[in-house]
Amino acid sequence: MELPVLNEKPAATGGCSASSCGTTDDQLSHLSDDIREKVQNHPCYSEDAHHYFARMHVAVAPACNIQCHYCNRKYDCANESRPGVVSELLTPDQAVKKTMAVAANIPQMTVLGIAGPGDPLANPERTFETFRRLSEEAPDIKLCVSTNGLALPAAVEELSKHNIDHVTITINCVDPEVGAKIYPWIFWENRRIKGKKGAKILIEQQQKGLEMLVAKGILVKVNSVMIPGVNDKHLAEVSKIVKEKGAFLHNVMPLIAEAEHGTFYGVMGQRGPNPEELQALQDSCSGDMNMMRHCRQCRADAVGMLGEDRGDEFTMDKIETMEIDYQAAMEKRKVIHQAITEEMNSKRAAKATAAEQFAAEEKLTTRPVLMAVATSGQGLINMHFGHAKEFLIYEASPEGVRFISHRKTELYCSGDSACGEAETALQRTIRTLEGCEAVLCSKVGYEPWDMLEQAGIAPNGEHAMEPIEEAVMAVYKEMAAAGKLEEVSDQQRASA
Amino acid sequence: MSLKIIESCVNCYACEPLCPSKAIYMSKTHFKINAKKCTECEDDFAEPQCASICPIEGAILDALNVPLNPPGSLTGIPPERMAEVMAELQAH
Ligand code: SF4
Ligand code: SF4
Ligand code: SF4
Repeated sequence: MELPVLNEKPAATGGCSASSCGTTDDQLSHLSDDIREKVQNHPCYSEDAHHYFARMHVAVAPACNIQCHYCNRKYDCANESRPGVVSELLTPDQAVKKTMAVAANIPQMTVLGIAGPGDPLANPERTFETFRRLSEEAPDIKLCVSTNGLALPAAVEELSKHNIDHVTITINCVDPEVGAKIYPWIFWENRRIKGKKGAKILIEQQQKGLEMLVAKGILVKVNSVMIPGVNDKHLAEVSKIVKEKGAFLHNVMPLIAEAEHGTFYGVMGQRGPNPEELQALQDSCSGDMNMMRHCRQCRADAVGMLGEDRGDEFTMDKIETMEIDYQAAMEKRKVIHQAITEEMNSKRAAKATAAEQFAAEEKLTTRPVLMAVATSGQGLINMHFGHAKEFLIYEASPEGVRFISHRKTELYCSGDSACGEAETALQRTIRTLEGCEAVLCSKVGYEPWDMLEQAGIAPNGEHAMEPIEEAVMAVYKEMAAAGKLEEVSDQQRASA
Repeated sequence: MSLKIIESCVNCYACEPLCPSKAIYMSKTHFKINAKKCTECEDDFAEPQCASICPIEGAILDALNVPLNPPGSLTGIPPERMAEVMAELQAH
C-alpha cells in the first residue's frame, strides 16, 4: 500500500520535513538546529506531533491592556479559549505546582503555555514569576506565551532569559483603518486611547515586537482571527508581511461570536466564517506561508492532547493532595519522550519513502475530494462515528493527501436518556460535514449510515485502525476506479 | 473625593497595580477602593488610572455615583441594542 503524502521528504536533518506540519525544510533552513528541534515535538506546531505530545495552559494573567471586539472580559479571551467558560485563575505558585503535577502524571506533556484570559505581558510579574520558576524547577518543559503584542517590545529582553522558545502574537491587521473596527481602545502610557489612533500604536508595537523576537532567535507564531467583512480580505497581506519579518507560522482562526457571549461582534450580529471561507483564506495565505490547520482554539486552562481537556483531573484541590517527585518524573519523561520521538521519526521516514513511491506512480487525473475522518489520535482511524467530537478533514487528489482542518461537532449519542434529541443532533453533525464526500471511522450505526448516504456523504468503516492518509488515498482510488470522480484536464489542475 | 468600584467588577486585576496611591485592594467578592487613600490620581495623572484601564462599563463610579465609563463607552455596543439582544436571549 502506498502512502501518498504531499511534500514529504526523508527527514535528513532529523527536523520535521513535512509540509503538513507547517514547517518545510525550506522555511526551517534559516533557523538553527536548536530551534528545529524545538518544533518537532511541539503538539501545537507540528501536525504529527500533536497526535503524541500533550500541552497544558495555565491562566495566571487576567489583566488586559486592550479591548478586542470578539472578547467579553466577563468570560475568557475568546481568541485563545472557548468563550463563556471562565478558566481557573491561578497564582504563580499554584501554576507551578499544577504544571509539575501534570508533567508527572501525563509524561507526554511537553509544553506549558500562558495565554488568556487577559494578556500575559500586561501582567508581567505574574507571568514572569511562573516562567522563572518553571525554567529552574522543571527544565524539561517548553514554555510559550501568547500576547496581543502591545507590551511585547518591553518584554522581549526578559522573555529571552527563560526557557521560552515560542511566542504567539495575535495580529489581526496591519492597517489602522481595519484595526479601528476590531479594537475599540487600548491602554497606552497611562491613557485610554480609542479608535484608529489606538489601533495604530498597537500595530506598531506588534510589528516591533515581532522583529525583536526574530532578532533574538525566538520562534514566533502569528494568530489571526478571521472576521468576515472586516479583515478577511486583509489577512493575506498580514500573512505576507509577518512571513517576511520571520514569523515561522501563521494560524488563521475563525471568529467565534454568539450573542450570548456579550461581545461587540456577538451582540451586533457579526457572523463568523463558514468552513469553506476559512479554508479558502487559509489556502490563499499558504501560498505565502504554510498554515497551521490543526489549531483547536483551546481554552486557557486546557490540559492534555490537542482536542481533549483533562483539566478536571488537575483542579487545585486535587493537586494539593498529590506528592510529586519531579526528579523521578523527569527521568521517566525522558524515556517516554525518546520512545515517542523514535516512533515519530520512523513513521515520518516511512511516509517519506511512500511519498517517493507515490511520486513515481502513474498519476490519476481525477478531481480532488474532501473526506472527514474520526480519530482519537495516533494518526489512525480509530473512532466510532457517534463518539466523534470533531472530524479531521482531508483532501485527496491525484497529488496526494493533505490535512485541511478539523471541524467540531457535538456528541449526538449521549446515552439512552437523551436519545429523544438524537435526531436533530445527528443532523447537526452531518451538517458540519458539508462539502465532504466520504467519512471514515471505525464504525457507523445504521441510522447515521442512512442519513449520511442521503446527504451524499459515503460512510466508510472498512479502514478501521489503519493510518489516516493511507486509508484516505485508498478510498479516493476506489472512488476513481468506480468512476465516481470526473476527470480534470491538466489545464484545470494547473490552475487549481 | 474618591472613586468607588462596585460589584460588576470582574476581578481582572488590571487597575490594582496602576493606582499611584495604592488605594485599590482585593476583597472577598471584588476589588475595592480605599476612599481615604484615593486621590482620583489628581497630582499624578491626567485621568484616573483605574477608570482608564477598567474594561467593564459601569464598574467604577465617581463620588456622585456616576459611572466613569457609562454603558456603550467601552464596548461600542449601543445600550438599546444590548437591551434588545438580552431581552431576546431571555425569551428563549
Ligand atoms: S487581548 Fe485577549 S483578553 Fe485582551 S481583549 Fe483581546 S481577546 Fe480579550
Ligand atoms: S482614581 Fe487613581 S488614586 Fe483613585 S483608586 Fe483609581 S487609580 Fe487609585
Ligand atoms: S479593572 Fe475594573 S474589572 Fe478589573 S479589577 Fe479593576 S475594577 Fe475590577
